[in-house]
Amino acid sequence: MSLAIPTPGIRRRSVTGLWLRHAVSFVRYWKFIITWVLIEPVIILVAVGFGVGKLIDEIDGAPSYAEFVTPGLIMGNAMFHALFETSWNAYNRIDNDVYETALTTPITITEITMGDILWAVTRSIMTVVGTATVAALFGWLNHWEAIGIIIPAIMVGITFGALGFLFSAVAPHTTFLTLVFTLVASPMFFFSGSFFPISILPDWVEPIAWFMPLTSAVHIARGFALGSLDITHLWAGLYMIALTAVIWPAAIFLLRRRLIK
Amino acid sequence: MIKAEEIRKIYGDIPAVDGISFAVEPGETYGLLGPNGAGKTTTMRMLSGLSPANSGAITVSGIDVVKDNRAVREIMGVVTQHDGLDGGLTVFQNLFLHGFLAGLSRKTSKNRAHEVLDFFGLRDRSKANVYELSGGMKRRLAIARSMMTSPSVIVMDEPSTGLDPQSRNRVWEELAVLKDAGVTVLLSTHYMEEATILCDRLSIMDHGKILDEGTPDQMIERHAPKEVAQLRVSPVSIRTVRGYLTEQNITFREVGALVSVTGANGDRPNLTGLKDVEGVRTSYRAGNLEDVFLAITGRELRDG
Repeated sequence: MSLAIPTPGIRRRSVTGLWLRHAVSFVRYWKFIITWVLIEPVIILVAVGFGVGKLIDEIDGAPSYAEFVTPGLIMGNAMFHALFETSWNAYNRIDNDVYETALTTPITITEITMGDILWAVTRSIMTVVGTATVAALFGWLNHWEAIGIIIPAIMVGITFGALGFLFSAVAPHTTFLTLVFTLVASPMFFFSGSFFPISILPDWVEPIAWFMPLTSAVHIARGFALGSLDITHLWAGLYMIALTAVIWPAAIFLLRRRLIK
Repeated sequence: MIKAEEIRKIYGDIPAVDGISFAVEPGETYGLLGPNGAGKTTTMRMLSGLSPANSGAITVSGIDVVKDNRAVREIMGVVTQHDGLDGGLTVFQNLFLHGFLAGLSRKTSKNRAHEVLDFFGLRDRSKANVYELSGGMKRRLAIARSMMTSPSVIVMDEPSTGLDPQSRNRVWEELAVLKDAGVTVLLSTHYMEEATILCDRLSIMDHGKILDEGTPDQMIERHAPKEVAQLRVSPVSIRTVRGYLTEQNITFREVGALVSVTGANGDRPNLTGLKDVEGVRTSYRAGNLEDVFLAITGRELRDG
């Protein structure tokens, strides 16, 4: 995870200290956050799985529409959590001088991104495990390999956690952060193969869809969910790693420019 | 304890801090006094490793801040200009998690948080949300937070700006206790009263430069008149008063509704001619740091 970081080593306490801060804050507000971690994704799952699923008899590569859509919805929801943590929440921490205060301790900008992204990963795992458990009870996750969905959950946390910082680090005001959802999250949620195979999209849209990192995450999650892993899932994973290797250092650069004047 | 040599910070073309030098001795409370925009905050940020200097040398307790800004943040307490309290946490959690992030063990940080809350009389607010606190309590919590690691040197950017008089007094009392405990304090302020009460020595800053340095008494001795007459003048008489002072060649300036008058050589000015003018009330006060600032810069400190 230590990607081209121009600092003398990583101080572990900086990362665990920030993570603990987020965990303590989460525990204070868990009654509110749990609605998003678990209740909202389950509502969507039920609506799409039982509702839309009734209308669709056949879908490529999956025994039923519900089983097809489950890994897609789970990953899409994880993406929202990771993005929200490092865009909206991180912006508020910039705006309220919470990072400024943290920087009076021996922490670096790189470590700030690491602590926050680690928390984004934690949120991603929480929502994925919770929602996947419910889906399994519905009978929509039927392969033992589905346990491996935890892997794309972690990757989504890292990639989209880093991506969120690109917005919070340059945002002049909170309204700007709307772009995270209108330009990034919503298009990805609908065009990443969560709801339908991207192969049915027009030819010119398909490559764009593959460029979106959520497409890779959904592809990997579906491989685990349906027990149909092959080499393409490895490529998808490598693509996400490569993309993160660009986004994360950019996030550090922008955040440093914002916080160290 | 703190040594700054020819430090400089430039934003665009504008030098925010233009090559200043000063040294703070162990146990000393040292002040940077100047109006808003004088470069105080930038200086404090450079000293505490939050902002790199463009040139110059800074050492704190022998640590080269320019080379190793992480190490300096291990030994220094910092109170930033804005309280920077974490609204997602309680009062206690703000302290405990700050201490933990700074490197204390969980147990040590918890114990220390309780100690610090006791010292600042905030114990009964420990479970409160920070946004429920008054401005004075928030400021004191920010100061309390800087003490979590029991630092021997604390840098405070405008510790009492924006506080009501009671809260300000409380902050000053607490800072006096810190001083007795041997903590070295560097503070910035634009309140001459704060500088007079708290600082052993101070620098007067304006436009990124240090104009003079010394103890408050030395500075007043050097630059301020011994005595200043203050006239409250009713609007009907103001022209008469101006006319008389100009005629007598007496230096005066008008600040708000007050006319401040200084005699030659700083002695008590001769105002006998104003005795019978209606609506003039005269009082005398000793020269202070406001007068020092005026004498050095030609401007009022409070004008900013």
